[in-house]
Amino acid sequence: MISFKNVSYSYRNGSGVTNINFNLDPGEFTFLIGPTGSGKTTIMKLIYMDLYPDSGKIVILGTNVAKLKRRKIPFLRRRIGMIFQDYHLLNDRNLFENVAIPLHIIGIPRNEVEERVYRILEEVGLTNKEKQYPEELSGGEQQRACIARALIKDPEIILADEPTGNLDPIASFELVNLLEQINREGTAILMASHNYNLIKGRGHPIIEMRDGKLRNG
Amino acid sequence: MDKLAFLISEGVRNLWRHKLTAITAIFSVFITLFLIGSLFVITQNSHYLIEYLRTKYKIEVFFKAGVTNEQARKIMGVIKEIPGVRSTTLITKEDALRIFKDQFGEDIVAILGYNPLPASCVVNINRKQPDSVDIRPLISKIKSLDGVDQVNYQGRLIRRIENFYQKIVRGVSIAVIIILLLTIIIIANTIKLTIHAKQDLIKILKLLGATNLFIKIPFLLEAIFQGLIGAGLALVALVGVIHAGNTYLEKLFHMRIQYDPVVGAIMVGFAILIAFLTGYRTVTKYLA
Repeated sequence: MISFKNVSYSYRNGSGVTNINFNLDPGEFTFLIGPTGSGKTTIMKLIYMDLYPDSGKIVILGTNVAKLKRRKIPFLRRRIGMIFQDYHLLNDRNLFENVAIPLHIIGIPRNEVEERVYRILEEVGLTNKEKQYPEELSGGEQQRACIARALIKDPEIILADEPTGNLDPIASFELVNLLEQINREGTAILMASHNYNLIKGRGHPIIEMRDGKLRNG
Repeated sequence: MDKLAFLISEGVRNLWRHKLTAITAIFSVFITLFLIGSLFVITQNSHYLIEYLRTKYKIEVFFKAGVTNEQARKIMGVIKEIPGVRSTTLITKEDALRIFKDQFGEDIVAILGYNPLPASCVVNINRKQPDSVDIRPLISKIKSLDGVDQVNYQGRLIRRIENFYQKIVRGVSIAVIIILLLTIIIIANTIKLTIHAKQDLIKILKLLGATNLFIKIPFLLEAIFQGLIGAGLALVALVGVIHAGNTYLEKLFHMRIQYDPVVGAIMVGFAILIAFLTGYRTVTKYLA
């Protein structure tokens, strides 16, 4: 599903990731852990093609990123759901509109959009909140909204970059439980986190990063 | 079709969502286009005014005493062919006698026993001339014709009027160029700022898998709507000012400010074009 072979990327300041190798299989829930600055977000950005590797080969959902034309990137991104630490919700739109955006991007008919948004909001526990704006929601609710937005387009994989970074321990715990529930329904998940306590004992594969390298790689 | 409907509705709703930036953009379009429109109207009306005044320019050509009415008619035919001459009217010796009698109440033939008044003609110049009218070459040509004795014209007045017109045309042209450049800069920068403020939106839409076109269309529509509303308001204000002005001018001077609807069309078209081009360029920059 996702494969990194000898992938390196360095920012202008010299930081980045070096010689990364790993594979993610369909339907797998994998944790990407490491301290802040270890390269987790860089890995995420390389997967959703916000960055291009300096060297090495990345294959995303069967597509070699190096051979993908730039104008085709949006179509590959539509198969990936993304969740961010700072939510990236649009503050000038209500919850319904935020969650519906991916469906409008794909071109889903209006009546179907409504049905799917209400269904997904129920699934993530945000029923009756559709008229509220992001600033009217708690951190946990905003992150659930973000999950709903990622999930609504039925992605093959969800990338969650420090999704619990701004949440209290209880909300964090509930969020990981929700992601596990989504994973059980068949969606692969790669979740980056620096919170070891949150992920330990869950029985999922772990990729550990340190100083831009895989610790066990 | 659903996608297109969504994009159009986004363009409209963005105006409401970003009220403050939309109002700023609309206001700057309104102010600059109102100024441009006013200058167009001033230019147009000064042009109409000069055309009217030129109809009042009168050149009187007096023929020599021995020139008969028939000869005078022939000379007048030559005068009519001189470039810049619109029309000529012959005043025969008999007409001159009648005019004299009407004005002074004296029958000069009864006093002198013959008609001493020469034939003459009134020359009107072309009022539609792109530049100012220099009447001196025309006068020289008329004076050089055989049989012409004297040419009377309001030389100093005509020069003054034409010089004043030239000053207006030059001044307004410079002002139009400056305001036009300012308009482009102001509209362009306002739209740039409104888009700059929405960089996050562009970034998020990209990450969600939106194509460049999907991102661009609502921005462009929003920019066009802003241009359209600003230009529309400027147009309404301009027409309102002209109507109000006409109410007073008609009462006081029996004059009307003329207004060509083409000015309105140019204003709206200009605003849409600038908004579209700037919007397109700025969004494309942030999408790169």
